[in-house]
Amino acid sequence: MFEHLLFGNLTLNAIPFDVPIIMGADIFMIATFLLVIFLITFYRKWPYMWHEWVTSVDHKKIGIMYLILAGVMLLRGFSDVVLMRSQQAVAAGHSAGFLPPEHFDQIFSAHGVIMIFFVAMPFMFALLNIAVPLQIGARDVAYPYLNSLSFWMTFAGAMLCNASLLIGKFSAAGWLAYPPLSEWYYSPTEGVDYYIWSLQIAGVGTLLAGINFVATIIKMRCKGMTLMKMPIFVWSALCSMILVILAFPVLTVTLALLTLDRLLGMHFFTDFAGGNNMMYINLIWVWGHPEVYILILPAFGIFSEIVATFSQKKLFGYTTMVWAIAIIAFLSFVVWLHHFFTMGAGADVNAFFGIATMVIAIPTGVKIFNWLFTMYKGRIILATPMLWVAAFFTTFAIGGMTGVMLAIPPVDFELHNSLFLVAHFHNVLIGGTLFGFFAGIIYWFPKAFGFRLDEKWGIGSFVFWVIGFYIAFMPLYVLGLNGVTRRLDHYANTQYQPYFITAAIGAACVLIGIILQIIQLYVSIKNREALRDRTGDPWNGRTLEWSVSSPAPLYNFAVLPTVETLDQFWVNKHQHHTEGTVHPKDIHYHPIHLPKNTAAGFIIAMFSGITGFALIWHMWIPGIIGLLGVLITWIARTFSTDTDFYIDAETVRKTELAHIKEKV
Amino acid sequence: MIARMRSAFTRSNMRRPLMIGLLLPMMLSLTACQGQLIGLLNPKGVIAYEERKLFFDTLALMLIVVLPVIVMSFTFIYHYQVSHRIKDYKPNWSHSYFLESLWWGIPCVIVVVLAILSWKKTHELDPYQPIPGHPQPPLLIQVIALPWKWLFIYPEQHIATVNYVVIPVGQQVEYWLTTDNVAMSAFFIPQLGSQIYTMAGMRTRLHLVANQIGTYEGLNTQFNGDGFSDMHFTVQVVDPSVLQQWINNTKKSSNHLTEATYHELLKPSIGNKPQVFSGIPTDLFNRVIITYMHTIGDVHPRTNEVRNNHV
Repeated sequence: MFEHLLFGNLTLNAIPFDVPIIMGADIFMIATFLLVIFLITFYRKWPYMWHEWVTSVDHKKIGIMYLILAGVMLLRGFSDVVLMRSQQAVAAGHSAGFLPPEHFDQIFSAHGVIMIFFVAMPFMFALLNIAVPLQIGARDVAYPYLNSLSFWMTFAGAMLCNASLLIGKFSAAGWLAYPPLSEWYYSPTEGVDYYIWSLQIAGVGTLLAGINFVATIIKMRCKGMTLMKMPIFVWSALCSMILVILAFPVLTVTLALLTLDRLLGMHFFTDFAGGNNMMYINLIWVWGHPEVYILILPAFGIFSEIVATFSQKKLFGYTTMVWAIAIIAFLSFVVWLHHFFTMGAGADVNAFFGIATMVIAIPTGVKIFNWLFTMYKGRIILATPMLWVAAFFTTFAIGGMTGVMLAIPPVDFELHNSLFLVAHFHNVLIGGTLFGFFAGIIYWFPKAFGFRLDEKWGIGSFVFWVIGFYIAFMPLYVLGLNGVTRRLDHYANTQYQPYFITAAIGAACVLIGIILQIIQLYVSIKNREALRDRTGDPWNGRTLEWSVSSPAPLYNFAVLPTVETLDQFWVNKHQHHTEGTVHPKDIHYHPIHLPKNTAAGFIIAMFSGITGFALIWHMWIPGIIGLLGVLITWIARTFSTDTDFYIDAETVRKTELAHIKEKV
Repeated sequence: MIARMRSAFTRSNMRRPLMIGLLLPMMLSLTACQGQLIGLLNPKGVIAYEERKLFFDTLALMLIVVLPVIVMSFTFIYHYQVSHRIKDYKPNWSHSYFLESLWWGIPCVIVVVLAILSWKKTHELDPYQPIPGHPQPPLLIQVIALPWKWLFIYPEQHIATVNYVVIPVGQQVEYWLTTDNVAMSAFFIPQLGSQIYTMAGMRTRLHLVANQIGTYEGLNTQFNGDGFSDMHFTVQVVDPSVLQQWINNTKKSSNHLTEATYHELLKPSIGNKPQVFSGIPTDLFNRVIITYMHTIGDVHPRTNEVRNNHV
């Protein structure tokens, strides 16, 4: 009895000792974890880790932690790619490949979940954290402690997802866990529960982060920065975060209803007793479609910043850009049905959603032309961020084109669930979102870390990524047109095999690209002195983040900036010599009010993770402990009054003068 | 300005061979194996043919915008590089009513054309509507998706088949679709046209017509568990007289689809060989739907009979 309350359904059998591939991955994961623990202990860095990182509420550090999380999970998600691509390359004709269906099904489900929730989302929040407060001239986000909580919730969700590799199984019902397949009758294992609880916990983190950034952008802009004077990245972040606030509660509720079905035998989405699985599919896409715009809008913002900076020219059509973003954000909520034209809705319904989808192509096209004409009559510096932008245009144009084609219901009737669709959304998610985030990371890297990334290795990784992408996904378009569906663990027709082998070669090229990125990071860290950015403005930037030192001081701005126009920093640089400015030594600094570090976010997230794990395995005692832990920490934190401090004026003065000295 | 753009055009030709080099083998490989294509590119029915046409019409319309974007992106990036020292540098030029209305306007026009096309074709090709131009009443086939196989019932002919369906050339077929003891699936014969989901407790419908005699492949496109990859079936399109003959022969078969055989079919299995049955339980298709519609309580209607977990 007690044992059941403590361990629930969990037994030693949950660890897949008999499956060598999974055990290998587990051993690697555990070894890496132990190595990190060992290194931190060996170099006696525990206090440093705790005080400087885990409990930090500084948006710049939280951004870096998001970046590390996304990078690590990218490797995890990409190892799924390696398995899937090699399985499909060999499993033709009578061969069943090396992965049994129940394993293959978990891999593609995990791949989708990880890449969207634990790679793309953390990458986005990393860039938002690193850039947004600096771009609007703020000293931190509106709710720094909430920011720390958001990150650690995302972290807890990701770790729960990783735990499924070692303990038990992950969901084998696809990345959106369509019922009735994800219902208890068809999936009576812990897999779908792992899916639900890792997304629930990470989803709460995302929702809180969304609220935080909207509040930050609305309330904390520096003096003079009206909405139409915000950098375009901030606009894209604002619209994206509004989408988060509107869409993520839908995800939370939908998953909660699925949980009720599975845990308490209710019938929201079951295929019997009055349940309706199409209800789930509608709801999940009411979240899911805005989700892809949540990811792509900040990427659009990044492209806008980079194109303007590296063309050394003002962004073309700022006002239309803002309107285009706003229109896209609005339209993203009225197109969800295009994901299931084939459910058998009437022609009126299908035609409406098809046309609404096409309309999105208009503002998107406008943005592309604005970027093109930002480059027109500019002076383009082909640094690595700009190379990613260059690759983005063609890739995204192709992806957008196939997207519009899929939006026509009768065409979708032929291509739905085919590899054409898979190629399409990778075309926009990689070519749009991921290329954008890579560009953004290289662009803001010096601001976050104080030194630039190595160009030579960067170009190498860029070349392999882009070529690999095309080799990997163009064959999938062809296969899709030939009636090959997604999610096949094997196929009888051997004529498909050459295409799948080509795709696998493409994936191998991308893998080389990733390895080169890791080498790039290593080389850059090694040569950080040579690559150090002493000016704070390594790219001849236009927006406020480049006006402070790299990395930015704890308080961001010693004196909060005032803005009169768009790209004020750029304008200042060009007028500097004509107008008299105050000598830095004569500036009168004030003490700066800042939030204190807190462990509450970390502790709440860890207890949430325990609760999630307990719910997956139906463990009563750990579940109650986890829930109480969350509540007690939460309440205790609300009674804490010791939450802020002042940096005295002298420290600020010293830091600022040091930066100026470094600059000269 | 145009002259400059044109000169930039010619100078940036270096990248185009790369593109052609990538696309050409793909196109060649497409035409080379035309005979074996089972998808959109090789239609054998009116619906599929119309859908392929729509696919290429849309592609052409989209290329009006997409091609200039691709060409301009390479041209501009190449031409306006800082090292080329182009004199014409306008760092503050960031607005033009003319240009901006051009690229709001042109996509708008294209989308209006696409929208009209889409509205018209969506209604014309609505899978629920009978296909116009076929005065003969449709042949009704009831399809039940079972754990990783397909059951086809010919209610008027009192025969049934598994993973195998014979249909007449030139006569439209109306499919009624549902599932039993398997998660949502999708019924799809790529060379004949549209696919539609099959759901428990519901009936979806689909009209298709085959215009050429032959053997085609049918499949499930919606992932529904471990046996998904093998959920294929064979579609035999024959002359109506041949169909009649086949029906007569099948009726003589001693292999009956009884309640007991259906119960066997409900058990999960992978890669079933085609089977034919004569005689079908009364109103089986509708009873399957009603089983799911009328269940109350928290026990799945098939729990006590067969569990759909592992094979």
